[in-house]
Amino acid sequence: MGKFILRRAAQALLVIIGATLLVFLANFAFGDPFGSTGDRQVPPAIAAANRAAFGLDQPLPLQYLTYMGNLFTGDLGVDYNQNRPVIELLIETVPNTARLALVAIVIDIFIGVTAGIIAAVKRYSFADVLVTVVSTLAIGIPTFVIGFVLVATLSGVGPFPTVPRSFTVEVPWYTEVLLPAFALAIVDAAFVARLMRGSMLEVLRSDYIRTARAKGLSERKVIGKHALRNSMIPVITYIGVSLGGLLGGAIITEGIFQYPGVGYLLFRAIGGNNAPVITAVVIFSVLAIVVLSLIVDILYAYLDPRIRLS
Amino acid sequence: MVGPTRSPASPPTAAVPAKSRRPTGQFRDVWRRYRRNKLALIGLGIVGLLVFLAIFEPFLTPYSPFEQNLLNTTAPPGNGHVFGTDVLGRDMLSAVIYGAKLAVIVGVVTVLASLLVGVTLGAIAGFAGGATDAVIARVTDTFLAFPLLIGAILIVRTFGAGILPVIVALAIFGWTTAARLMRGQTLALRENEYVEAARSIGATNSRILTRHILPNAIAPVLVYSFTSIGVVVVAMASLSYLGVGVPADIPEWGRMISQANAFLRVPGKSHLWVFPSLAIVLTTLGFAFVADGLRDALDPKLRGRD
Repeated sequence: MGKFILRRAAQALLVIIGATLLVFLANFAFGDPFGSTGDRQVPPAIAAANRAAFGLDQPLPLQYLTYMGNLFTGDLGVDYNQNRPVIELLIETVPNTARLALVAIVIDIFIGVTAGIIAAVKRYSFADVLVTVVSTLAIGIPTFVIGFVLVATLSGVGPFPTVPRSFTVEVPWYTEVLLPAFALAIVDAAFVARLMRGSMLEVLRSDYIRTARAKGLSERKVIGKHALRNSMIPVITYIGVSLGGLLGGAIITEGIFQYPGVGYLLFRAIGGNNAPVITAVVIFSVLAIVVLSLIVDILYAYLDPRIRLS
Repeated sequence: MVGPTRSPASPPTAAVPAKSRRPTGQFRDVWRRYRRNKLALIGLGIVGLLVFLAIFEPFLTPYSPFEQNLLNTTAPPGNGHVFGTDVLGRDMLSAVIYGAKLAVIVGVVTVLASLLVGVTLGAIAGFAGGATDAVIARVTDTFLAFPLLIGAILIVRTFGAGILPVIVALAIFGWTTAARLMRGQTLALRENEYVEAARSIGATNSRILTRHILPNAIAPVLVYSFTSIGVVVVAMASLSYLGVGVPADIPEWGRMISQANAFLRVPGKSHLWVFPSLAIVLTTLGFAFVADGLRDALDPKLRGRD
């Protein structure tokens, strides 16, 4: 187990280094952030001074090594627009994204698991057909169309803040988190429902369920205790991976709802060509995905002892 | 193992024992199983319609999809414009049809490009094993951990907005799943006796890969590629929605939706985003249904699993 974690951690480190290299190359290829662009004329002396201040006058390999060295001390550089340490921007936005991701996952599990169980237990019933049809259709709907419909119909209604947002107006967190969380959860919930239904059906066919019924357990106990535990395994795997993606920031959904998380931070950084922020958010997103998939692998072996980690 | 089929299109009586028929080709066999699935047929219809629109776009659009009429903007459906007109006074129906052409071209080319990279790397990794496999696996992991949209945005930002940069960007981050599928398949197949037999009569590695392993390994990759065309169409629309996809003057579904942003809660203007949204949803569903149908038709053992 320890060996497995160590090996996966080493792999994760490689992935982070590779991803950082990719972002660095992309930022470099994009060109000089301080030069003249269109209507914005910058005197060459000032542009050169700016480049020197941010270390962009150094050769690229040296810039990369410096960045990687600083990274391990928590120094992510200074952003180009407000001259603030990038780590501060992350500290401001990461909790919002974590909140959004968790609320979305809770909605996701609640709808998906419930629908999946009902569909599996009452197989071929009206409820089953309904779940199957709705989930098949929902999987085809892009998240941003759902987001768009929600903004069109519900933003500004009742407690939900109007989009475009006014950031001078403070709103309670649950009012701004609900709509984007729902938009993120709906497609995922459809996946979870399908997965749950399939795995529950498979478990219900197994011998130990027949044994449980034979010894006279109530159907509620058979489903809720015996069948549920084992059929949750693939669902948990899926949800873990999905949570990793959400924690990394949902750029489209956060962008549509102008939700103040890392996704929206990245959205604005890309618009403003703010390279240090772009690099930092990408590293953060990749890290979230890598760490969550590691946790999922470990959890998987714990939940299903037949799986050996190697 | 063989339970009742869930598809309403195939009552048990329709399941004629395949063995009693005269020998048929593999293609006819697959088609026979495919057409039992009603959703798969609907999906095929949608995909067929899209391809039809893409090919005959110049003859089907009632107006030029680029022609603006600033005196007649955001007109509701009717009055010569079946879907109404957009914010620049362009005919929405023509723009949506042009968008279908764009979606088909970008979807198919992107997926073909990522298949080329993914299948090649995956087959090599699975077949060679050892250090080659390890290196390819780490590269795949790196690209896989990169969120598709974020990666694509970085690339498109570098090369500028345009159809080709979108294709390149989505292909660069889209090949990983194909590589993984192909690697797994190759790993499983290379131990088979017929591979050993081929080797014993002196077949080269490349011949074994292309003639013996590839045809047997390609089915799940094919199924996946149909699903991923839908993913690509959505990703392109998302990029355009964010303003980093295709240039603003090209009628693309995501771009059309983002142009409707300002009219979101204006009564009577919902045609601005409803039609392109419906087009995207139908496209994704169409390709997903075809992929589902293909999965069942290509591998009867998978039937009934979700």
